[in-house]
Amino acid sequence: MLVFTRRRDEAIVIGDGIEVRVLRTGRDAVRIGVTAPHDVPVHRREVYAAVCAANQSAASVPVTSLEQIAGRLRLHPPPEPVE
Amino acid sequence: MTAPAELDIVTRFGTFTVDPADVVTFAHGLPGFERCRRFVLVSAPSLDPFTCLHGIDASEPSFLTLDPRRVVPDYDTPLGDGDRHRLGVAADDALLWLAVVHVDDHDAARVNLKAPVVINPRKMVGLQVMAADTAYATDHLLDGA
Repeated sequence: MLVFTRRRDEAIVIGDGIEVRVLRTGRDAVRIGVTAPHDVPVHRREVYAAVCAANQSAASVPVTSLEQIAGRLRLHPPPEPVE
Repeated sequence: MTAPAELDIVTRFGTFTVDPADVVTFAHGLPGFERCRRFVLVSAPSLDPFTCLHGIDASEPSFLTLDPRRVVPDYDTPLGDGDRHRLGVAADDALLWLAVVHVDDHDAARVNLKAPVVINPRKMVGLQVMAADTAYATDHLLDGA
């Protein structure tokens, strides 16, 4: 891992067009600004990890669950198509 | 001359035939399945009320998905500028929103409303929204919704 010391308003540049800037520092938190091209998604790590876990679990839903789930669901009616 | 080959999709929820034109590209895959870039969305009476989002690359993951508005009628997750750009959204595009279903350790069905899958049918591209500031949960209880 590359380790940098940065002060407020200083930044690092990653590759072509990604900039990570320190906006504010505090005792336990740092406010960071990320500038990246539109085709580069930027996520909070813990949000991404939570979605990973949910997806992993979803990909292993057993086939026997399908009828069981569908049978006991009380869903709202499908929304009207928007014209 | 050969007709465009139809695609036989084998999922654990059944085997379905789809048109190759129905393949949706996810440029970054889905979190946890980043190497799977191509998916098809299967609708079938046997799956109702779900649809099956099935990957045709890498580990070929299959997900049961559901219109989130059937769980929460006024469901609304905003789409950020980056996501709109990646989906190639034009003003009058009708986007397809899907919530991914999973089953927890106690056999209760849950649905991920925090990170919906969004598909732009006009471009046949999709992504999973990673909303940080939302009241929705990744494990919204579906039973008796």
